[in-house]
Amino acid sequence: MHLSIKNLSKTYGNGVKALIDVNLEIPIGMFGLLGPNGAGKSTLMRTIATLQEPDTGSVTLGDIDVLKQKEEVRKILGYLPQEFGVYPKVTAEELLDHVAVLKGVINGRERRDLVQALLQKTNLYAHRKKNLGGFSGGMKQRFGIAQALISEPKLIIVDEPTAGLDPAERNRFLNLLSEIGENTVVILSTHIVDDVKELCTQMAIIHHGEVLLTGNPMDSIRGIEGKIWSKSVPKEELDSYKENFNVISERLIAGTPEIHVYSDTKPGEGFINEFSDLEDVYFSKIKQSAEAVATPQL
Amino acid sequence: MFEFIKFEVKYRLNRPVTYIYFAILLVLAFISTSTDIVMAGGSGGKVMENAPVALAAIMGAFSIFGIFIISAVMGVPVLRDFEHKTSSMIFTTPVRKFNYLGGKFLGSLIITILIMSGLLWGAMLGQVLPWPWHDYTDKLMPFSFMAYWSPFSVFIIPNILILSAVFFSGGTLGKRMVVVYAQGIILFMGYLVAGEFLSELDNKNMAALIDPFGFGALEVTTQYWTVAEQNTLLFDFSGIILQNRLIWLGVGLLSLVFTFFRFSYSISDGGGRKKKKAGEDSDIHMVIPQINQLFGFKAQLTQILSLSKFYLKWLVKQGPFLFIALAGMILVFVIAFLSGTSGYDVELHMTSSRAVRMIVGAFSLFFVIIVVFYTGEIVWKERDIKMNLIYDALPHPNFVVLASKFIGMVLMSVILLALLMLCGIVIQVIKGYTFIEWNIYFTTLFVDTLALMTLYIILGLFIQTIVNHKFLGFGLMFVFYVSFIVFDELGIEHSMFYFARASLGQYSEMNQYGHYFTPFSWFNVYWFGLAGVFYAMAILMAVRGLDTRFRIRINLGGLRLNKQAFISIVSAIAVFILSGAFIFYNTNVVNEYRNSDDQKARQADYERQLKQFEFLNQPKITDTYVEVDIFPEIRDFTASGYYILRNKSDEPISEIHIQRSPDFQVITELNFDRDNELKEQFHEFFYDIYELSQPLAPDSVLKLDFTVDFRTKGFRESGSNTDVIYNGTFFNNTQYFPGIGYYSQFELSDDDDREDNDLEVTERMLERDDPRGIAQSLFGDDADKIQFEIIVGTDSSQIAIAPGYLQRHWKEGDRSYYHYKMDTPMVNFYSVVSADYEIIRDRWIPPSDTLPEVNLEIYYHKGHDYNTDRMLQGMKESLSYYTLNFSPFQFRQLRIMEFPRYRTFAQSFANTVPFSEGIGFIQNIKTDDVDLPFYVTAHEVAHQWWGHQVTEAGVKGNAMLSETLSQYSALMVMKKNYPPEIIKEFLRHELNSYLTGRTFERKKEMPLEFVEGQGYIHYRKGSLVMYALQDYVGEDSINAALRRFVKDWGFKEAPYPTSADLIEYYRKVTPDSLQYIIDDMFRYITLFENKTTDSYYEEIEEDQYKVTLTVDAIKYRADSLGTETEIPLQDWIDIGVFAEDEDGEDKLLYLQKHKIAQRENTFEILVNEKPLKAGIDPINKLIDRNPGDNVKDLELKEDTI
Repeated sequence: MHLSIKNLSKTYGNGVKALIDVNLEIPIGMFGLLGPNGAGKSTLMRTIATLQEPDTGSVTLGDIDVLKQKEEVRKILGYLPQEFGVYPKVTAEELLDHVAVLKGVINGRERRDLVQALLQKTNLYAHRKKNLGGFSGGMKQRFGIAQALISEPKLIIVDEPTAGLDPAERNRFLNLLSEIGENTVVILSTHIVDDVKELCTQMAIIHHGEVLLTGNPMDSIRGIEGKIWSKSVPKEELDSYKENFNVISERLIAGTPEIHVYSDTKPGEGFINEFSDLEDVYFSKIKQSAEAVATPQL
Repeated sequence: MFEFIKFEVKYRLNRPVTYIYFAILLVLAFISTSTDIVMAGGSGGKVMENAPVALAAIMGAFSIFGIFIISAVMGVPVLRDFEHKTSSMIFTTPVRKFNYLGGKFLGSLIITILIMSGLLWGAMLGQVLPWPWHDYTDKLMPFSFMAYWSPFSVFIIPNILILSAVFFSGGTLGKRMVVVYAQGIILFMGYLVAGEFLSELDNKNMAALIDPFGFGALEVTTQYWTVAEQNTLLFDFSGIILQNRLIWLGVGLLSLVFTFFRFSYSISDGGGRKKKKAGEDSDIHMVIPQINQLFGFKAQLTQILSLSKFYLKWLVKQGPFLFIALAGMILVFVIAFLSGTSGYDVELHMTSSRAVRMIVGAFSLFFVIIVVFYTGEIVWKERDIKMNLIYDALPHPNFVVLASKFIGMVLMSVILLALLMLCGIVIQVIKGYTFIEWNIYFTTLFVDTLALMTLYIILGLFIQTIVNHKFLGFGLMFVFYVSFIVFDELGIEHSMFYFARASLGQYSEMNQYGHYFTPFSWFNVYWFGLAGVFYAMAILMAVRGLDTRFRIRINLGGLRLNKQAFISIVSAIAVFILSGAFIFYNTNVVNEYRNSDDQKARQADYERQLKQFEFLNQPKITDTYVEVDIFPEIRDFTASGYYILRNKSDEPISEIHIQRSPDFQVITELNFDRDNELKEQFHEFFYDIYELSQPLAPDSVLKLDFTVDFRTKGFRESGSNTDVIYNGTFFNNTQYFPGIGYYSQFELSDDDDREDNDLEVTERMLERDDPRGIAQSLFGDDADKIQFEIIVGTDSSQIAIAPGYLQRHWKEGDRSYYHYKMDTPMVNFYSVVSADYEIIRDRWIPPSDTLPEVNLEIYYHKGHDYNTDRMLQGMKESLSYYTLNFSPFQFRQLRIMEFPRYRTFAQSFANTVPFSEGIGFIQNIKTDDVDLPFYVTAHEVAHQWWGHQVTEAGVKGNAMLSETLSQYSALMVMKKNYPPEIIKEFLRHELNSYLTGRTFERKKEMPLEFVEGQGYIHYRKGSLVMYALQDYVGEDSINAALRRFVKDWGFKEAPYPTSADLIEYYRKVTPDSLQYIIDDMFRYITLFENKTTDSYYEEIEEDQYKVTLTVDAIKYRADSLGTETEIPLQDWIDIGVFAEDEDGEDKLLYLQKHKIAQRENTFEILVNEKPLKAGIDPINKLIDRNPGDNVKDLELKEDTI
């Protein structure tokens, strides 16, 4: 099983170009889709999840034409949307059972066992009789993954699953994800670089609807090794640094800005060569893309 | 606060749906004043379309449907913040709660008022704009802003405020739209209950108060407004309207205050408190078991089953459902225990059919509303709770979820119906009627009503899916409902165009569902075929995922259209078309279908072409012999017989005009006993002109043989024949047997109809002194009196009855034959009745030996013997009173026969009284009720004198002879047999019916002596006038006059008597001082406004009390439209003083007529018992629009010195 996305484009009614000629080959395993908010990740995910129609392009999963044979895709799909709600007055057990029925788990005993197992697995067993209206964000998210795992999906799509979770919840959630079987295509979209770093064997960076990079996270990091320089700068000089150097990211460390600059050579006095990180890959790619957009081509 | 108002207003102004709502109301109101499509509130006739009353009714009706608009706008402003999770943002800003809520409320209110003002503008534009189809200017008065503004400001604006406040409160505190709908339904229920109460005299004021929309108050305020008043009077905040508005505005205000205090200004969205969970130790490394996914047909069935349960549980678990069900059950109980159901507020026995009728009657619209709102909710459920993305990516086919939602809704309906059925049964048992007919509950609730609800569920699913906007969907459902009115106007009346229309007809215990069941079933097949198409379309077009653009949905629908879906759609279409074709074949090919316009046009043509023959000299029927064969099981009959026609004129007659029955189910054949030629035939009107070879000389006779063949084939579109049925056949000769010459009853009588058909507006009846009218009786000019003989054959399980005495009865195979013959001449009006009857027999022994005994018989449906004793008693008492006071009874036998309740009257034929199931057989008469069966019996028996002994002329005022006199006679018999309170109760209803009846007058109110078939005058006013007359002049004197009248005019042929003749007899027994009352009562329309303004009493000495009372008296004359003019008083009017007897009932201490000659009068009256109340005309003998203020409680005047 292998997911292949070819020339996928989508423009919304209001003119926003959500996807521009996206081509991706996604093998079995955990695939990270990294990009800032509004990059087009969700559009891409929903298109793969049969919920949205692209303007052009094709998506195939093995032999299945995702855009046409929606039912076939749905049979082997586990999908956790970025935002979702639940029946507030229904218990976790009931709703999971309900979804399982819709997923074709018809045998009552099988379904009961499955639901129990999933509740155990997602650590919700203790709350199975509780109305979903009373669930915390993390519990709800785990419920979300529980429903996505019903019936051994061959394709799992999780859209921004860790947004809004506290660190402990996030860890628990990522552990859960990493447990997912090996012959499954798992696409994890996120804007949190660490998610990808910790979990994924393959990744793509997407920004403004375009794929900026694909590959193995480690290879990508190697590609920029030695080119990332950091320096703490006074606040008032920040702007001038930004003008003069290729600043890809900035952050505050104990109240003082620290900038990361992408450069083949040491950009100047006081810069320290950093261990490059996936985050630097991400920011440098986005920076490049932003410049490409900002600078009209001659 | 202003910021919030601005935000809210801007938000709404940016939403297209705001304008759509406005446009819908604008257009509806526009249509109602610019065309005559919509006529509400009794407009029509002489009430103008832009009369304030008519506008109030139109705006009111639309504003009730406006509930959904107001709920959509007012329910959501705060809710929206929660749903979009913006509330946390707002609540953390330093905005005060008051400003937030106030701003939200006021902003939405402004928008709501703007939207609802569409009604006002639309209605005004409708009148002002010079549209080309504005061709009925006689229906409009000159434009007056106030005529529009007054109903809008008094009813609509307060309604907006009330509903807005309540819905805002529900949406804000309940945080769910269903809460708002539940509120809407409860308010609507208030309106329904009020409607029920309005029909009962004692509960009118309560009805006026409990109706949240104020229409009960409107109804009570305008109940006696005459046509002239309806056109001119405006509404203002006073009286009962003010009280109602204050109560409900108070409710609105309270709910706002409550909202303010209860509204929790924090982010928690009502969900459970977040508990920090303690150590979780479940096994997260557990292996997920292997399962099998199944997707076949069997799997889908299991899915549907399981999901239906899930949705049903969700629907029923909703607070609002329980609330609605509970409220509905309470409503049923309220109606069952508080509202009367038949004339004179007499209750019917709580049979199963009545219990069911009560439930369905109060609920049919309500059911549809529940269904409409819940389909909206359920279709949108996943999207509302934002679970749709998960849902849509699951591998179920669309039809599984849609089918489950559908089944869930149907099961919810079943539960609701079952609860209501339970209520019905409990009520039956409490009311002591333990005969539970399960089949009626089953058929009406779980076949008829459930089918209707199911169809609307599918329609709702369909519209919500296709439109893909919840509130717009509701709006469309409403427009869909209203569009029927437009259909109607376009002359599209066939039920095949009215979604879900299929009627089980009225349930009659005699005939059960009868012949209605077949068309009902076919129409349901037809509608379910269409619903199947809707359902399939909904499945194909259902939104799945995020693309809602129509083009994409159509593409996706194409992808979903697999072989199965295709076959389903094609078969649904096939069912729809084939059943439609079958229905059409039955209604339009086998039977004749005409919409009402065509029918009227045909009537107009009849008049245009044939009226020339109206007074043609024709021979009269003198003998009738006929053999009728009824086949109840196939609803056919044949009749063959002859008429003997005699030329009673001085001229020879060469042309005979025959009117055959125009009913398309009838084939008539005619054969004269001499040479003739069919000279001309008007096929369309079944009118033949025969020329005799030898003219019929004066005083000579001819014989006309005829056969009538009545066949029932298939079923009709509507107006199915209820004369010839499985059990309870009842028809009379004028309906099916050939008549002589032009039949003026076919003419259009309504002025509007006549104008629409370019006919001159004419008088409704011949003038009182028209010799042509005096020469014919009320039964028409075909005959004077006839010799009559009939043989009726019917199925052996039934008994057949016709006027005359039974000569012979025999059986042949499975048929029974009855041979009746009347031995004296009788009027040319006879009935044929056949049903499976039980019989009660009795005898009336006359007071004098010289008179023959009279056999009394009552033929009734098995089980309907509740009141047969009362009827027997009524027959005996009536025969005694009438024989003693008027003249001897002319027959040796008198029979009452029950017929099904499709028609609710009793009718007097010679020695025969067919009597409807609905107006006497199943009433549950209690001691303080008007004894309806007794009264109706007495009235019909009186017709044996007034109508059969004295037959009046066919001119204006004639009903004063038959109907008014029968009312008088019945009243006198009742007076003799019942206490005065019952008579008072009876007269109170008569007064109400008269005063209400005149407000619906479409042409002109006539004085009694010129009454033109106006029931509210000849029955209702007739009772009041005659009761007063005998009170003023004396019962004996009136009876003496009537005795002379019968003596002079009884058993006579032309010339027939008129009201002028009768009034002369009254005058002769009336003293000079009271001659003026004859004018007041018969010649003019006279009304009084009597009122006691001040009253007190003093104790002069022991057992001596002096009552002092000040009374106002005003006397009016009204013209034909009800415009009143005050006239000087010179009248004798009752002054009365009451005490209380041991039982707490009123007891008269003093009642005397005093001459009253001025407006204000003071009386001092001495009584020797402690008085309680006193007043002018205390027993309401005079016609007074405010009878309630005639009597006042007396206060003790203390000596102040």
